[in-house]
Amino acid sequence: MLVGIPSQQSNNVVKPKECAAEMAEHIVAVAEKRCKVSFAIVFGYFAPRLRSYALKQMGNEALAMELVQDTMSNVWQKAHLFNSEKGSPSTWIFTIARNIRFDMLRKLQNRKEEICSEDLWPVLCEQTADVNETSLDEQITLEQVGFLFDSLPRKQKAVIEAIYIDGKSQQEVADELDIPLGTVKSRTRLALQRLKSML
Amino acid sequence: MIRCHPRLEQLVKFVEGNLSYSESILIAAHCDMCDHCRRVVDSETADQAETAFGTDVVQAGPDFDAMFARITQLPAAPAFESGEVLFKPPSKTSLELDGKSFRLPRTLQNLAGKTGNWTSLVGRLWQAPVDLGCHGVANFIYMAKGGSVPEHTHRGTEFTLVLDGKFSDGLNDYDTGDFIYLDSEHTHAPKTEFAEGCLVFSVLDQPLHFTSGLARLLNPFSHLFFR
Repeated sequence: MLVGIPSQQSNNVVKPKECAAEMAEHIVAVAEKRCKVSFAIVFGYFAPRLRSYALKQMGNEALAMELVQDTMSNVWQKAHLFNSEKGSPSTWIFTIARNIRFDMLRKLQNRKEEICSEDLWPVLCEQTADVNETSLDEQITLEQVGFLFDSLPRKQKAVIEAIYIDGKSQQEVADELDIPLGTVKSRTRLALQRLKSML
Repeated sequence: MIRCHPRLEQLVKFVEGNLSYSESILIAAHCDMCDHCRRVVDSETADQAETAFGTDVVQAGPDFDAMFARITQLPAAPAFESGEVLFKPPSKTSLELDGKSFRLPRTLQNLAGKTGNWTSLVGRLWQAPVDLGCHGVANFIYMAKGGSVPEHTHRGTEFTLVLDGKFSDGLNDYDTGDFIYLDSEHTHAPKTEFAEGCLVFSVLDQPLHFTSGLARLLNPFSHLFFR
């Protein structure tokens, strides 16, 4: 293993609220730089706590660990969907775990329906996480979008242009502009937020 | 104005994820329309998170190192790879009936694609079934002005969310956004005199049971209201 998980002794009395700001920074570092050191800190704090929550909920070690793994995988893979303005890291991670648990329990009951906790509590869905709840007015014309697009800062515009107009992947854009992938992602995100706020 | 809200313990169970899927949908849709309950749910979620993760004694599990290694080998989920993420509108944001268009709360927009055709029932009522894929039946029900459902009680439970308009049922007057829970202890006869009629979303887990006059003859056919 490349990166150590911090020892439990040091953080087992720290309440989620007390480390919310620190954890939020680490999640952003995971989102922008795929930073394993930051993820190790988030993992070291939340994974054991998730396990004790999951044990209480599932009453079974194997299912509990599955719940921990699924939750922390989502934190690693979808860290860019965390938005500190909407809530603390513990609330975000709890919501992910609660949703996975909801779906797991229904699967265990052999329900055949398409289960989707995201319908009830959207937390990992791009559309509602990054675009406001209310859907965009469908009558926005391309001209309006073009006009708004022109008002973006130069760097954000370049990224958006490459991705949305030229259809390049974020990795290609990163290579072309010779900037880290995380920067491409954060510029994209900032630009979209800005567009959204203008619409 | 919204006057009928879910009970606090329902909201708490909703946040815990301990309500049925159909009841959860009604509560989530109510919260889309009700700022008050949405704030309660948000703060309850934060509280439950704090409690769930606030345990003092935390023991490291034996498999955490391996788990950490497995997870960090996963790639990041693709984000904004295409313009669709921003500019794709939800599948269906409103429901059309008889030249009227009703805008749906977010939670129900996700279900609108699973909605069947409108059928006309007795008494100026229209119904469109929604396939929740689980126990119970869900319907959009539209009562035109002067429309009514014969007096009935419920063998199981009935959850109703008023999506647009107003109606009364002899127990109460209801307005847009109201969340109504009724069971076998309640007998009511919904009707609306509101000019624009009234659209509700209703979930039943058992057929209705008609209680008065000729409508009792409907009981053998109450499955017609339950499909």
